[in-house]
Amino acid sequence: MSHTTATANTTVDLTKIKPYGDTLNDGMVQTSFTLPVPDGDEAWEAARQLAKKMGLEEPNVVYHKDLGIGYTYVIVYGKCQHTVDYTQIHVTKVESTVMDRVECIQYMKDHFTRPIVVVGASTGTDAHTVGIDAIMNMKGFHGHFGLERFHDPLQPGTGMIAVNMGSQVPNEELIAKAIELNADAILVSQTVTQKDVHIINLTNMIELCEAEGIRDKMLLLCGGPRISHELAQELGFDAGFGPETYAEHVASYILQELVERKRA
Amino acid sequence: MGFVASLKDKYYTLSIVGMAKNAGKTTALNYILEEAFDEGLVVGVTSTGRDGETTDVVTSTEKPKVYLFTDTIVTVPVKLYELAETGLEILKRTDYRTPMGNILICRVAESGYVQIAGPGSVVEHKKLCEDMRGYGCDMIFIDGAIDRKSIAAPETSDAIILATGATISRSMKIVVEDTVHIVSLYQTPKLEEGPARSAFSEETKDVYRILTMDDENRVTDLGVRTALGAGKALDTAITDRTRFVYIPGALTESILDNINPKKLQGITIVLPDPTRVFVGAVKWQQLKKRGLNVKVMQNIQVAAVTVNPYAPQGYNFDHEQLRNAMQTALEDVNVPVFDVRAGGLE
Repeated sequence: MSHTTATANTTVDLTKIKPYGDTLNDGMVQTSFTLPVPDGDEAWEAARQLAKKMGLEEPNVVYHKDLGIGYTYVIVYGKCQHTVDYTQIHVTKVESTVMDRVECIQYMKDHFTRPIVVVGASTGTDAHTVGIDAIMNMKGFHGHFGLERFHDPLQPGTGMIAVNMGSQVPNEELIAKAIELNADAILVSQTVTQKDVHIINLTNMIELCEAEGIRDKMLLLCGGPRISHELAQELGFDAGFGPETYAEHVASYILQELVERKRA
Repeated sequence: MGFVASLKDKYYTLSIVGMAKNAGKTTALNYILEEAFDEGLVVGVTSTGRDGETTDVVTSTEKPKVYLFTDTIVTVPVKLYELAETGLEILKRTDYRTPMGNILICRVAESGYVQIAGPGSVVEHKKLCEDMRGYGCDMIFIDGAIDRKSIAAPETSDAIILATGATISRSMKIVVEDTVHIVSLYQTPKLEEGPARSAFSEETKDVYRILTMDDENRVTDLGVRTALGAGKALDTAITDRTRFVYIPGALTESILDNINPKKLQGITIVLPDPTRVFVGAVKWQQLKKRGLNVKVMQNIQVAAVTVNPYAPQGYNFDHEQLRNAMQTALEDVNVPVFDVRAGGLE
């Protein structure tokens, strides 16, 4: 017997990546779901068959629980047979150089002779202020100061004026405020996304802006844990900010886009 | 006669407008493009956002691609130009910016699938269609993003094709009701010729201001930019002598709630077009019964309604049942209905 290599291939092929469980490329995946049938042999078999249809080989029900109303919760392990070409991945991202807070303040001094007005809110039925506060509040989030601090205290009337309207703000109130203050940008935060309620609300926002004739006069930004830049654009926003983005990402985008659009 | 042939003589630009995502808008567009090609028409295709991706970002369901035939004029942003699975000849590089680069106007040299995109704003869209007309399009089709009904604004297109479907609701009754609400809203009567129409037609898109006109045709500027949050101010401004209130922007439920119902009965609210109405079907009917009178400077032609009996949420209606229910409900307004999943008109 003659083998050309004595050991298995241990280098990652980026054109064919798959999940890592115990060893490279074993494809191990854990899924959990609920089936609307009573707990028992038939339910477990149904779970295995479903996992196979998902492309998981050798499916194994490692946990099951009767949910009490004839429903069964299962956890299934299986080996994923699919691969993804990592080298061909294309993600639409907000394209602007990220400047820190001090750089943003300097950028405003260099490019603008007026303050930049930003109005934001958590809109619709959404009662969560965590997102909009992280971006706008002076204390910021995770060591990143918010937009309220993006100005030079020694030079009043310059820098950024950030107006945070809080939560459960109807879209029309947010727009009315932005018009009143002649805002440069509107920030919409959406934390709750059950049944795609954020999509309905964000779409309504864009339509109201179009109806009010401000769509091409102000920058429209949205953010939240389920928001991507790509989704934001598809909905008609100028930019979207997902998890792990902070005030400086938002400010950098707004300032550079305003200069780009010659609104300095 | 084919679907497109019946529209060609009446309209130049047609927007495909979805009542919601997955209402079958792209399927409808592909059907129309195929018809147009068979009839030897040179069509222009543009979009109000990025459309034609294989998967839909919101629901991750498979989305039909837009297949373009040779000689079609299409708008593509710089970054999507390279992703097109077809030969594209660049005719013009425009100044219309999108997050994916400036918009290019291209001619399809070799048939294939293309990701279409266009500028996000109504104003730029109108200019773009003028540019495309210059390259010899017989007709232009505009594919809207999600339910951007605003793009149905008459300034962008001559008529719309309204795509609706099972995704609106699990109740077929609500699907039909909501669709009929939109169709009837779009066909809101135009303000008749007269002093009011003359006065309001001088209002430009650049300056938004709310105006009233009294029984002696005197026009008063309320001094507010928007009616949003100004319902009470409107209520105060409306007197016994007020006949018309011109609102250039959105008309919402909360604005109307702040106006005394008695005062509403004596006036006509005038809007630039029906896309400014943001009032639900039930509320709208109630208000109209109580004497709400709304007219528009320009209404919207609905050329056809398309139905998709399949919802991505995992349920579907019977093809014939949905199409027939919709056709019956739209009988009065004489709008044809066709099923994009069953294959065209009868």
